[in-house]
Amino acid sequence: MTRSARISRRLALSALGASATLALTLPGQRSARAAEGRPKYFIGIYMPHGVARELWVPGPGFDIAYPDSVLAPFTDAATFGQSFREQILTIEGLDLSAGMAGGTVGHDGSRVLLTGSAGNGRNASLDQFLAVEQGLGQGMPLSSLVLGVGSPNPALGWCISYAQGGNALPKIIDPTDTFQQAFAQWVVGSDPVALAKAAAERKRGKSLLDYWRVELAALSARAPASERDKLEQHATALRDLEQRLDGELSACTPPTAPDPATFPRVQAYQGGEPYFDTVTNLQIDLLTQAIACGVTRVATLFLNDLSRTHLDPALPEDVHIDVAHRYESAGRDEQGGSPATWQALARQNRYTYSKIARLLQRLAERQLLQDTVLVALSDMGDPARHSSRQIPVLVAGGWGGRLKAGRHLDLGATGTPSNRLLVSIQQAFGVESDSFGQASDPAILTGNLDLA
Amino acid sequence: MKRSSLVPSLRRVLLALLVSACGSGKDDAPAPPAAESLLAPALRRLSVAELEQAARSVLGTPLDLQGSLPPDALQSDFSRNIAQSVDSLTLRQLYDATRRASEAVPLADPAFPSCAAQAQPGDTGCRDELLAKLATVAFRRPPSAEELTRLRALFVIGVEGSTFRDGAALVLRALLASPQLLYESSLGEGPAQNGARMLAQSELASGLSFMIRGTPPDTELLSAAAAGRLSSGSERYAQAVRLLGAPEAIPQFQRFVEEWLGLVQLPQLAKSSTVTTDFAASSRAMQSETRSFVADVLAAQRGSLIALFAGGYSIVPDELAPLYGIQPVPAGGRVVLRGMGRVGILQQGSFLSVFAHEGESAPVLRGKAVLTRVLCRTIRPPQEFGIDLMFPAPDANSTTRQRFERHAVDPVCRGCHSQLDSVGFSFENFDAVGRLRSTDAGQAVDTRGSITLNGAPLALKDSVELSDAIAHSEELRNCVARQVVRFASGRKDEHAEAAFVAEMAALPVTWRSSLLGLFLSYVKSDGFGWRLEQ
Repeated sequence: MTRSARISRRLALSALGASATLALTLPGQRSARAAEGRPKYFIGIYMPHGVARELWVPGPGFDIAYPDSVLAPFTDAATFGQSFREQILTIEGLDLSAGMAGGTVGHDGSRVLLTGSAGNGRNASLDQFLAVEQGLGQGMPLSSLVLGVGSPNPALGWCISYAQGGNALPKIIDPTDTFQQAFAQWVVGSDPVALAKAAAERKRGKSLLDYWRVELAALSARAPASERDKLEQHATALRDLEQRLDGELSACTPPTAPDPATFPRVQAYQGGEPYFDTVTNLQIDLLTQAIACGVTRVATLFLNDLSRTHLDPALPEDVHIDVAHRYESAGRDEQGGSPATWQALARQNRYTYSKIARLLQRLAERQLLQDTVLVALSDMGDPARHSSRQIPVLVAGGWGGRLKAGRHLDLGATGTPSNRLLVSIQQAFGVESDSFGQASDPAILTGNLDLA
Repeated sequence: MKRSSLVPSLRRVLLALLVSACGSGKDDAPAPPAAESLLAPALRRLSVAELEQAARSVLGTPLDLQGSLPPDALQSDFSRNIAQSVDSLTLRQLYDATRRASEAVPLADPAFPSCAAQAQPGDTGCRDELLAKLATVAFRRPPSAEELTRLRALFVIGVEGSTFRDGAALVLRALLASPQLLYESSLGEGPAQNGARMLAQSELASGLSFMIRGTPPDTELLSAAAAGRLSSGSERYAQAVRLLGAPEAIPQFQRFVEEWLGLVQLPQLAKSSTVTTDFAASSRAMQSETRSFVADVLAAQRGSLIALFAGGYSIVPDELAPLYGIQPVPAGGRVVLRGMGRVGILQQGSFLSVFAHEGESAPVLRGKAVLTRVLCRTIRPPQEFGIDLMFPAPDANSTTRQRFERHAVDPVCRGCHSQLDSVGFSFENFDAVGRLRSTDAGQAVDTRGSITLNGAPLALKDSVELSDAIAHSEELRNCVARQVVRFASGRKDEHAEAAFVAEMAALPVTWRSSLLGLFLSYVKSDGFGWRLEQ
């Protein structure tokens, strides 16, 4: 292989400057750039440690308002402004098959949710695939926004967003940082001195970008093919930085900066737990405002659980061990499991879904919901068994008119690969491919779900 | 014990090493080694701690990046690894942090040429001196003429209508986020020989310094590189001995041990209020104990693995004394713990807390940590056997051991659990925070266990016997040799690890039972200096 052939086209382009911001579209595929009749925004959410299935499955006629229903927040118009029952679809029967085939299971299963790959996979997660490889994030100040609550840990089991090459993308867990990244540089007001300073900084920033591109290209020319993904990710980061420097807020009033006094700590196990509720709300609000202001079109949010938050006095201190691990499903034994353990887990689940309802409310308030694909996934079916089978899936939003919501889709107990959901989403964005992810068995990767 | 008091002690040890015959091994003739055991060329993005050190060397003043950059992604347990990358968030945060730092460039600092503080925008002589000096430090090698030209162009933009300081500030920002600074390159240069290529002198210097001290190479090491002396294994060995005498070497070994044994998870832990009321304070004390102990083992015991696992003592902070059931001792003083259930790092609060659940001990986690981390054995996950995990049900009338013994009755489960649990059970006299206990669920704890070491089954009375046996085992020595290769190279590579283990086998046991011996031998080895041709 010649040296020049080692460098990918995108990386080579990046050395040439701004023209490199053109996203590559694979042969035979259509770009996912926002288009009429297609969804415009993607939001992926991780929710921790499975659900109480007995109280999660909707009743006949898509009844989600029965007593103790996990999904009740979506009918709570008093709290969230309207019922979102007609904007959600629940899916039962998906397995994290790619993870199970590759030994990435249990708590590590979050790695599989949006990548459709096990821990050794090298493809990007769906959010990054759409934002970077398919150009949905092109021209946006931030090609994507990767958020979390409680832990910045980038290890397996703590992330859902992955770059091409297989590296986990770090999460922003402090709302102050979220604001800083998404809005701060444009909040300069009308003071001529401040405006001149911002313009000068933009010019310096462009000079720096030009310098780094040349340096990166020089390094790339010497690097072996095995380092290509890493250097392409660096090139992507440079492009993102350029988009941030070039960016302007479109027709929106930027939010005010969050008040750090309302969340003096943000990290789990370091005193942050009491503020998780505040942090979660701020992250959701900032995420929505970032989409509304044209800062980004793609976001993920890794939610933390209720452990040690003391938000719900009816739950034990350690929700992870004393609720999720104690869950005894109806199918577990001949006695039909333990309904008391379902109730406890359902309280945890309702809290999580109330946050997703809040997000739907915010999106609806800004007329963004119809054009959004939102998917909320958990890494486990039966949480006590740490099972990667039968994971609970909730999709929401209008999908640009491509989702038939207000229903429950039961795919049965045979085990349908979760990759099919990812295929359906990419197709909704216009990517004409019938597979997604990586696994030795192509059957895991191929096929879609009938969601329209 | 304060770090500063340990450094002279470490220097005495190192002086002895320098004249010791143990440091030999392969001769230092730069003949190409067998290619099949060599690592592939790679670019390693520096860890956040290394980036801080690199930035400090350029700026002359500290730059806090730990507080602003995303945390390191560990691979094979280590933060130094070739999987780390420059993602969008990392670059944005770096951009913002270096912009802030450049607003107060300390041009009077010795890191900058003496002309810089008073220079005028048009002072091209001072400019060129500044650029050459900063680029040499940032790139960890002399810059090429082309690179200097690019930096000059940048300086011109920064200085336009402004001051010399503004030109310098823009150049600093460029250097602090330059790919040449962010990545440690180990690509090799020159003609390949038998499928192998030696690392460039600058690569050898960077690799050596970052491995031993976690910092960029100092002037002396750069001079050795410029003179082409680092091709020689003996020269690398001598340089490593010199670098080990610096204070930065101690935190680097602490980092190695904490990452190798998974103790970096300690600050991320919570414990149930049923076992402790203030685990945050305890965990800080546990971290302090382990760091003081590792520093002492390194400086006073030549990094002896026997001392690390079965030295019979520790350095216990006052805050931890009640949990250990001992009286506080003068700060930094050794406490003999043998006879009190604790002989080494495996019986320290840090290890016992990390490998435990929130409210109870975890025999499976402790057994797995010993077998996989300490002895480098492979334990296949249950899912590979089609087994869904199932935690034992709570039972107030049964001990943890009884509950776990019941849950692994399945013949398929027993295959692995007979190994894991029989090691983990030996720690059952420690609760979820490493506090000694004699009863569990109202019954006497049973710490009997077993392990097969070097092919021989061994019955254990408790984890003290486990530590004593492991500390003297060839399996531990070989595993640590492998961990040194992983730490140094930033990856797991069976061929490279096996080659180093084989190389070490020819050296005396006392040498390969020493962290210092293993680090120094690796620096000297062909595996350190050569890469596969690609």
